[in-house]
Amino acid sequence: MSDPTETSEKPATPATPAAPATPAAHDAHDDHDTPPPGDGDGNGNGNGQDGALYGILAQYDTPGELLEAARKVKDAGYSEFDCYSPFPVHGIDPAMGIKRTILPLVIFCGGFVGATGGLLLQWYCNAYQWGWNISGKPTWSIPANIPIAYECGILIAVLTSFFGVWAFNKLPQVWHPLFRSDRFARVTDDGFFIGIEAADKRFDAEKTKALLEGAGAIAIENVHFDPDPANKQMPKWIMGIIIASTAFALVPFAIAAKARNTKSSEPHWNIFPDMDYQPKAKSDQADDLFPDGRENRGEIANTVPRGWLEADETFYHGLEHADAGDSWTTGFPKQYPDSSAVPPDLRGQPFAIDMRLLKRGQNRFNIYCTPCHGYDAHGQGMVPTRVRSEGGNWDARNLVDPSGPVVQMPNGQLFNTISNGYAKMMGYAAQIPPWDRWAIVAYVRTLERAQNASHDDVPAADQGSIK
Amino acid sequence: MSLTKNLHPDEKYKAGKLGTQMTLVGLGLIAGMGILSLILGAVHKGPGGEDDHFKRFLYAYVTSWAWIASLSIGMLWLVLLHHLTRSRWSTVVRRIAESMTGAFPIIWLAGLGFVLPVLFGYKDLYYWAAPDAAKDPAIAHKLGWLSPGMFTMRYVIYGAIYIGISTYFSKKSREQDESGDPKISISLRRASGPGMILFSITTCALAFDVLMSLAPKWYSTIYGVMFWGSGEIAAFAALGLIVLWLQRNGRLVHSINEEHYHDIGKWMFSFTFFWAYTAFSQFMLQWYGNMPDETVWYKYRMFGDWQWVSIAILVGYWAFPFVFLMSRWTKRIVPSLVFFAVWQLVFHWLDMYWDTMPQYDWTMVGNHNAGPLAGPIALHHVGFTAVDITVWLALIGFFLVGTGRGLKGNLIPVKDPTLGMSLAHEQL
Repeated sequence: MSDPTETSEKPATPATPAAPATPAAHDAHDDHDTPPPGDGDGNGNGNGQDGALYGILAQYDTPGELLEAARKVKDAGYSEFDCYSPFPVHGIDPAMGIKRTILPLVIFCGGFVGATGGLLLQWYCNAYQWGWNISGKPTWSIPANIPIAYECGILIAVLTSFFGVWAFNKLPQVWHPLFRSDRFARVTDDGFFIGIEAADKRFDAEKTKALLEGAGAIAIENVHFDPDPANKQMPKWIMGIIIASTAFALVPFAIAAKARNTKSSEPHWNIFPDMDYQPKAKSDQADDLFPDGRENRGEIANTVPRGWLEADETFYHGLEHADAGDSWTTGFPKQYPDSSAVPPDLRGQPFAIDMRLLKRGQNRFNIYCTPCHGYDAHGQGMVPTRVRSEGGNWDARNLVDPSGPVVQMPNGQLFNTISNGYAKMMGYAAQIPPWDRWAIVAYVRTLERAQNASHDDVPAADQGSIK
Repeated sequence: MSLTKNLHPDEKYKAGKLGTQMTLVGLGLIAGMGILSLILGAVHKGPGGEDDHFKRFLYAYVTSWAWIASLSIGMLWLVLLHHLTRSRWSTVVRRIAESMTGAFPIIWLAGLGFVLPVLFGYKDLYYWAAPDAAKDPAIAHKLGWLSPGMFTMRYVIYGAIYIGISTYFSKKSREQDESGDPKISISLRRASGPGMILFSITTCALAFDVLMSLAPKWYSTIYGVMFWGSGEIAAFAALGLIVLWLQRNGRLVHSINEEHYHDIGKWMFSFTFFWAYTAFSQFMLQWYGNMPDETVWYKYRMFGDWQWVSIAILVGYWAFPFVFLMSRWTKRIVPSLVFFAVWQLVFHWLDMYWDTMPQYDWTMVGNHNAGPLAGPIALHHVGFTAVDITVWLALIGFFLVGTGRGLKGNLIPVKDPTLGMSLAHEQL
């Protein structure tokens, strides 16, 4: 294997100059005048069929010799040649006279386009085409858009680098003339090769061979194109997979397009039926398992769940008990129950309308009530304001209107409204514990008083100053 | 072209008197700038013209101490990483990195400049030491951790860990210079994993204690990572400058070439981005979360005078170096790398300044209990002062003394098994 003459002098299989490669089968490597095919050297595949001459392949023993040879080939003025080695050889690029790739610059541009595109996409969707007013937040704010822009920048940069490598290497190419050489198989093991293409302007069968030999080649052989153009094409089954998978990837889009443009009375598709219909019990569902046909097992007879006793009708329900029937209490509870529903330091204490209660009421009111009723309780909170700005209608009651119903309501009824809701308003019993609801009642009463104050309410000493 | 190379026969790899020279420059800086700083610190007045009792001086001291500490911390990380990943490129600069970690004892000695006052009852530097802090429920429960005694104890522990790890790795490395025993490389590799874990926890905790606790109500879990990432940029910049200085003095001229500078530049570039990534993560989460106890830290830095410092850091510390250090050539052409190294060192200091100094401002103008923005934002000023700079120069002096101490004997691990590959290192 190491004697250069062995290959060169191997008796040539009778070269059939049949089927010279048709122009259509030429690729980027051989867009030149085809040299006369079959000059007498054999290719290792032994099929006895040779196409046009691709070039000369020379093998070297070490990476150092390869580097040296590459330098000589470059200095001799060749440009259409390449080096092949089992691993990256340091310094091969300058030795071959290859300039640095512009791929990094292309990737940078890709990343830039991606980041800018990501920003534009968000601007178009969120700020321009379909701007939503969400609690008064701006539709366009740079910090919120940075992560998406960053991800888009990375994505496009990576895709650019992936496809850039393919494009710059003229891939995909499923064949190469060098693979017809048996010797060349060593390139993935311990072989170091230079292939000079016949396409090079300086190519001359004899002189080129002499140059490669002079550079210390241990073997030299001519390599020919495959005469069969079919072997230069992508195998049909690979093309089939590519076409089929591309078509398959378009199916969801086609379905979506059809759904957007047609009407149907069919129920919608359940792509994940076990997510849409989960095997679990919900309290309002029917079930065959139990004799009463309900999922909900209800409360166990003669028991009260912890914290559900609520014996104090006034504190928990705003009711004043009387034999003639219950009525809404007009005052406040007399005492906090000794219950875990009340802060520890208030349990069992007398109910006091003090600054602490009012501050607490203000705090809870500002959190839970102001979105609709507004800070001044005039019913002009953010929600009605925004619904009106979108052309809709949403009325929240003015809690302090002296002619309105709330001012006239007994405290117990106001408490009940907070607990259980009224009209569009949902009950807040789940979010606000009873003592907080009473604090809100006290605060609303305070607001009513403050908003409807008369001149006489001002302390006598100050009355003069604001008359 | 081969994969390994021998040390050039004419290579000068003995430090000679260079370490002493560096130490002397450092001592000069400490003496001159230290005295000047003390004078400037003593006469410094608060924004209302009141005496600030060395408060500005100590804030500047913490700022610049964090700056010098991050250089050695950054290089300790490089040493650990070198062993952890069996790096090859960094073998030629590892001894210099080890010398920079040799500054830890001096840096920790310098740190006593702000730790001792806190221990002995100085109330104005760390708000948690002030008597009012206990009245604030948001701080009161942290006072077990943030108390002068505990603070000093942890400071000592952190110092012991850093000094312990760095001494172990430097000592073993120099032992290999004598014996050439490859087992030393293996044992250091084994130690580097646990060392890295200990290093990471210590660095995070140090950042929390020394810098983040300046604003004791505010908290961010990524803060320690951000401090480390920012410091790493400066550490690699400093490494590049020290290597260049050694080469200018005829040392290592055959061993370290643009291939190694290129890698130093790559680390600067990657940490420029890493720092920006963590800094933005912190900002983004707090900005979006919109919780007053978090946003207050940023509100202070986003409005008023401080916004210009923030913008300067965004553009100068990230955007400009990010775009220009991306190119291969800016890292391989030494003058250009030097430009960015100096640039990033200065901006790293500004970043530390941006971390610490608003707290000075806020405790002088605002009512701490009512929050930093209790006073009108217009009252708050960046107010660069001369003492900020002189303290910085004095602390650079401490760093030079410490590093000069380590620059002795061989400047390159002459018998390291990977030295040959490091000398032949080439960027593909």
